[in-house]
Amino acid sequence: MSFSPRRNSRPRTIFTAAGLAASVSLVLAGCSAPAEDSAAADGDFTGEELTVLLISSHEGASEWLSTEFEKETGARINPVIVPYDEIGSKLALDQQSGANTIDVAAPWYVSLGDLAADGAIQDLTEWVESDDALDTDDFIPSIYEPYSEVDGKRYGVPFDGDTHVLFYNKEILERNGFTEPPATWDEYLEQAKTITENEKADGVYGAAIFGQKSPLILGASFANRLAGFGGEFLDDDGKPAINSAEAVAAAQSLVDINDYALPTPAETDFGAGNSAWFAGKVGFIENWTDLGVRSQDPESGSEVVDKWGVSFLPTGGDNTESRASLVAGFSWVIAANTEKTELAKAFVEWAASSDVNEALLTATPPTGIDPNRISSLESDSYGTEYPELQEANRATLEGALAWPTGEHATELAQILTDELAKLLAGEGGTAQETLDGVQAEWEKILGS
Amino acid sequence: MLSLIVLGFYPLIFIVLTALSESSLGRPFQEWVGTANLEAALGDDDVVASLLRNTIYAIFVSAASAVLGVATALALFRSARSGAVVRTLLLLPMITPPVVVGILWKLIFNPSGGLFNTVLSFFGYSGDPVSVLASPTFAFLGIAVADVWEWTPLIALLVFAALLGQDPELTEAAALDGAGGIRLFAQITLPAIAGTIAAAFLIRIVLAFKVFDLVYIMTAGGPGQSTTVPAYLIYQAALQQFDLGRAGTITLLLAVVVTVVTLPVVAITRRLHHD
Repeated sequence: MSFSPRRNSRPRTIFTAAGLAASVSLVLAGCSAPAEDSAAADGDFTGEELTVLLISSHEGASEWLSTEFEKETGARINPVIVPYDEIGSKLALDQQSGANTIDVAAPWYVSLGDLAADGAIQDLTEWVESDDALDTDDFIPSIYEPYSEVDGKRYGVPFDGDTHVLFYNKEILERNGFTEPPATWDEYLEQAKTITENEKADGVYGAAIFGQKSPLILGASFANRLAGFGGEFLDDDGKPAINSAEAVAAAQSLVDINDYALPTPAETDFGAGNSAWFAGKVGFIENWTDLGVRSQDPESGSEVVDKWGVSFLPTGGDNTESRASLVAGFSWVIAANTEKTELAKAFVEWAASSDVNEALLTATPPTGIDPNRISSLESDSYGTEYPELQEANRATLEGALAWPTGEHATELAQILTDELAKLLAGEGGTAQETLDGVQAEWEKILGS
Repeated sequence: MLSLIVLGFYPLIFIVLTALSESSLGRPFQEWVGTANLEAALGDDDVVASLLRNTIYAIFVSAASAVLGVATALALFRSARSGAVVRTLLLLPMITPPVVVGILWKLIFNPSGGLFNTVLSFFGYSGDPVSVLASPTFAFLGIAVADVWEWTPLIALLVFAALLGQDPELTEAAALDGAGGIRLFAQITLPAIAGTIAAAFLIRIVLAFKVFDLVYIMTAGGPGQSTTVPAYLIYQAALQQFDLGRAGTITLLLAVVVTVVTLPVVAITRRLHHD
């Protein structure tokens, strides 16, 4: 494996969407309880059971967590696995209906504001700030803030770091005369175009573009370019800035690669894109760093073992500073109506710990977990087994582009995704017109 | 009466109230907003376009299913003695879960090695892979093919049952008088089964208006908005954006459209049954 040298970094920029309008009076139960000491996680819960809601990508992690937590505490974890786009609604309905079967969940961090406004999750501010065992200073700052905070309150604790980087197939690049991965999105387009033109007859394409109409898929592809071009979702005042010149360039970059990508971006979801990558059929794929772990695991069906490299996301326009893009990422939350708040806190404290994150990074079978702490990112075990991934993940130490996270954040992401889908399908006018439309819609929600 | 209240009135009242209020998934009925949700929905080009799109789609797939269903039923009727296995096989698409149907047809239309492109290659096509589901023009046609494949057997079986219920003396008498082929079908058989065809068409059009699974699996409403139907918008609003007010409003609008489109079909069905 090879790795391209790190480019300059830029200061940390954190975005949170404005406006948590709804009351959170229903979510405070249990928050005033004294903090758990670390001993509580070491065997005080024998015979108890905790129901934990996770997405299907975290099923491997759930098995590891269940086994190890029972060893640690005697408490049994009952994982409930749902598709990634259903976890928020599952948790909200569970709490709203009074079923209250879920105690802990790990939803997409972007949904924290809506879940809080719906009274589905607990305000953890007091606990998080008083429990030294959580060691919050060790969380990667650019991850910790968006993954936990909504309007000054802490609702989540980081679980899965999930930053996108650019993976490339070294053999395909070499076959097409490229010795280095692209540093800019223009170079990326040039290399992808060359590969596709040379090898599409053999079923090999320059890039797999996640373009299916979902915020976590198409939205992620756009966010990667937005980060590279130096754009923002919101400005420093929390107002929409989605039709900036940088954002328009990012959208145009996505349009430009459309014709040279694995057919077709509109149909490419995680399964289709990853399958093409593992089969050695695409030169580039933007993905979470844990893809490298699975790429090295033949039992995952990978045919690219030792044939891949990883680089920072390219830059574009006037921006020359590579920046991490927190396109996905998941946080531990505690259900509002759980009657097991103390056990839930003990579990979250343990599951979000440095030791557990470090173990999950290198566990086999792969768990799909990325670093969320400085200590786990810099751990010897991670650096020894996956030095390239460790280096790529260090981009998060210097700042990252995160989605808005306040109330209505999921709606903002969906509006953007729908309009980008129209743009790629040729229904949305120009990139500028598309993002002007998104800006107008966002301003209706967030104010101008 | 109780079942009417539970199955009919309660959901309807709940939907109307959510449409008239600011409601989220976790906190319904937060604030009365009157017709604000309705005005927002009617001012949303995507909502209006999805209603129009769904209407055209429903009429198209229902008509296609009716024609193919009747043709299949007639073929089965003529080979009734040897058609037991075929009749059983006909049930297969209908009893296959819609999600599986969607996955199956998505694989068939997959531009990278799917059956559709393989067949095109077999007949000499050598251009770029054809991406049916990535084409704003043809994606809905791809979904329609899957939908027709799935539900045509329903119409075929209903019409087949009607054919079995015909008075055989009537057709025999017509045959003795020299009627046959298309004339026998048009003047004797069709009038006898027209009520059943209309009823089957009514069921089919309602099913077509409800299409969600195939859209969710095959295109996620894309490319662009070209396959987005109201049911998909309702799913997005309620379960992804937690906006029950918008979801309830689109549900009501869809109900109005379905009612307007199906009323003539209901009237025709009643008339044919009375005849």
